[in-house]
Amino acid sequence: MGSMVEGKKRSILKVFKRKSIGNRISPVNNILINLFFIMCSIVCIAPILLIIAISFTDEKVLLVKGYNFFPEKYSVKAYDYVITAGDTIWRAYGVSILVTLLGTVLSLMVICLYAYPLSRQSFKYRNFFSFFAYFTMIFGGGLVPWYMVYTQLIPIKNTIWVMIVPYLMNAWYMMIMRTFFKTTIHESIIESAKIDGAGEFRIFFVIVLPLCRAGLATIGLFCTLGYWNDWWLPLMFITEHRLYNIQYLMYQTLNSIQYLVSGSAQFAESAKILAELPSESARMAIAVLSIGPIIFAYPFFQKYFVKGLTIGAVKG
Amino acid sequence: MSKTKRIYSMILITLLALTLILTGCAKLPAADTGSGTGTTTPSDSGDSGKTKTDEPAVKLTWYLVGNRQEPDTPKVLEEANKYLKDKLNVTLDLYVFGWGDEYDQKVNTALAAGEPIDIVFTANWAANYNVNAASGYFTELNGYLAKYPKIKEILGEDFLNGSAINGKNYALPTNKEKVHNWGWLLKKDLVEKYNMDVSNIKTIEAIEPLLKIIRENEPEITPICIATMDAPFQLLDWDRISDDDVPGALYPDNRDYKIINHFLAPESIELYKLMRDWANKGYIHPDAATMQNQVELMKSGKYFAASQSLKPGKDAEMTASTGIEWVQVDVTRPVMSNRETTGALLAIPAGSKNPEKAFQFIELLYTDKYLKNLLNYGLENVHYKKISDNVIELIDPANSGYNPGHGWKFGDQFKDYLMSNEDPQKWEKFLAYNDEGLVLNSLGFVFDKTNVETQISSCKNVVQAYYKQLFTGAVEVEPTVEQFAKELKEAGVDELIAEMQRQYDEWRNSK
Repeated sequence: MGSMVEGKKRSILKVFKRKSIGNRISPVNNILINLFFIMCSIVCIAPILLIIAISFTDEKVLLVKGYNFFPEKYSVKAYDYVITAGDTIWRAYGVSILVTLLGTVLSLMVICLYAYPLSRQSFKYRNFFSFFAYFTMIFGGGLVPWYMVYTQLIPIKNTIWVMIVPYLMNAWYMMIMRTFFKTTIHESIIESAKIDGAGEFRIFFVIVLPLCRAGLATIGLFCTLGYWNDWWLPLMFITEHRLYNIQYLMYQTLNSIQYLVSGSAQFAESAKILAELPSESARMAIAVLSIGPIIFAYPFFQKYFVKGLTIGAVKG
Repeated sequence: MSKTKRIYSMILITLLALTLILTGCAKLPAADTGSGTGTTTPSDSGDSGKTKTDEPAVKLTWYLVGNRQEPDTPKVLEEANKYLKDKLNVTLDLYVFGWGDEYDQKVNTALAAGEPIDIVFTANWAANYNVNAASGYFTELNGYLAKYPKIKEILGEDFLNGSAINGKNYALPTNKEKVHNWGWLLKKDLVEKYNMDVSNIKTIEAIEPLLKIIRENEPEITPICIATMDAPFQLLDWDRISDDDVPGALYPDNRDYKIINHFLAPESIELYKLMRDWANKGYIHPDAATMQNQVELMKSGKYFAASQSLKPGKDAEMTASTGIEWVQVDVTRPVMSNRETTGALLAIPAGSKNPEKAFQFIELLYTDKYLKNLLNYGLENVHYKKISDNVIELIDPANSGYNPGHGWKFGDQFKDYLMSNEDPQKWEKFLAYNDEGLVLNSLGFVFDKTNVETQISSCKNVVQAYYKQLFTGAVEVEPTVEQFAKELKEAGVDELIAEMQRQYDEWRNSK
């Protein structure tokens, strides 16, 4: 999350710089603004650094001295534990990466294919289909019917698809995308393409999509994050342990510990079980591993991100 | 425009209605088969003794709560299935889900959707036994219990009735320690170093001289370890009617039938004062009110005494799992309460297609020593090796492929092998401990929260805001208790207690 805010910060700074060409802000203000955002960045980055520090702290030191950015004694035992604890983690990693890649591509496709027609003035039923999507944002079917759709109507429980399909369509992203198509693609471009003999599909894939890279990148990033960070769908639908994803694995461990600590578990064995669950540093090591690959998604999207972020707000 | 809008909304409504009907259709068959088999009385299906192997084996799906699915589960199940094929002609599919939210969420949605699960673990603290039984999600087992009487013989009438709701058994409790008591775990090296005599600590105050010795001689050690509800307050052992943080309890000695607000009972206030005194003397860590995890604190080795729920051999168990040696000091008298009777149960969901097979399988967990130990410890010579007939040693427990610690979760725990570091007399001591216990009057009473849900949640909020300071002696007792009492009154504690009393009296008269 920290780096997302940092991205925002940079985008805002850029806006400031651009403005200051003609109407320069005073050096004092400049320093103050910079200081302010440096503080913001530190607030975002410090917890992550702390987690990394904890994951490298010796367990005994951790229990006795508590958390510290610069531990008295370093240790890689936590990673050793996590990595040698069977193939569970690596398998979960694989599931997460597969679901994220597949999900993002499919989801972008579904969203664009829905949003594009709605952005075209010539589409007669666009109001109805807009409302159709909008309606789902206000009314939901409830948990149990929703659950039954994916277990009985479309029986995909305990498959990789159940972690993808429920998030394929997102009415909110669809609307952002529709606005983006509307504002970026001028009707005259489509017209000229038509005159040159291009069909609807060709216009969409060859002309419209390449022009909307910024929008695609933004929505793509949202989808990637959504799929990567999701533990709710496995919680609902996955009972086979080989299909657990990395976030769910982490959720499961942390949640177990929190529950047993809370004192609501009134059974004599709870203390013993607690003592045997992964140690503090091992948990932090899992957390560090889980942010690993997703952090590489940011630089990739960075280029488009600044432009993309303004679609919903300014131009909307 | 308004006309087209109307048409659109008509289409929408039709679509919605269609979806409802469709989902309704999808649900019906499942619900039908669920209730159909659920209500089948044992006498209807008279073919109980069928173990003919030419029939296709029945698959039983079993949900359990635990740390994780052990990596070698398939190997163990393969072995178990070979054995069960001849015994009952069933195969087993075992799923283990994490503590708390994960398990509750998984089981509750599956039950609500009528999924064909055959056996689930449930308890007063997991997959809410009382609520799910009351909602009709569990099969009533009285008929099966009469038909297959072995479980009743093993558990005993008293204990089995304690887990029943309005005289009906919806789940079968594990046969293990049936009572609990409270006391201290003391750090062994310090007890030996100062030659402490722990035999006559029978009250909470009696430990004070020991704390004094530690405080004066061991500057590195905090005498008492407190975190959240794990505090000496528990040594009062109130027989709580509802959750830990809901006011309303009986005295744990059957002295009367009057439910009181135990957070403000004279005994509790005395204890708060004692804690304040101890905090002032430095026996309690100044930050104890914000500490979270008692066991982690105990592992650090910087604490001398921790209040714990006890049973025979608890000290050995905690020594093994914390890496620090402990001595156990029993303080309160053992009692048999609802905490134990509904502490670990197996139920058969109404969605099960083979409730009778499931019941027969559960019966095996109580009677079949081989099966019980196979599921608990895994394969001989792979996961454990036998030292003598009834004593085993785990092979490389830290990296073992199967070390789930299931012993107390199902069946008859007294059939489990003992570990080499355990007291060989463990089960005999457990049995003696069970006999020692006082059966509380409230055993079998289940409080129905529906009428007072608002009062319960507001009272919980108030308790959450005050209990830590009082339990750890962080604040002056008199003014805080006064404020505490005032806020509880505003939260509706009087109506809550009155409702508890009403239900309790009704239940008592109907017995």
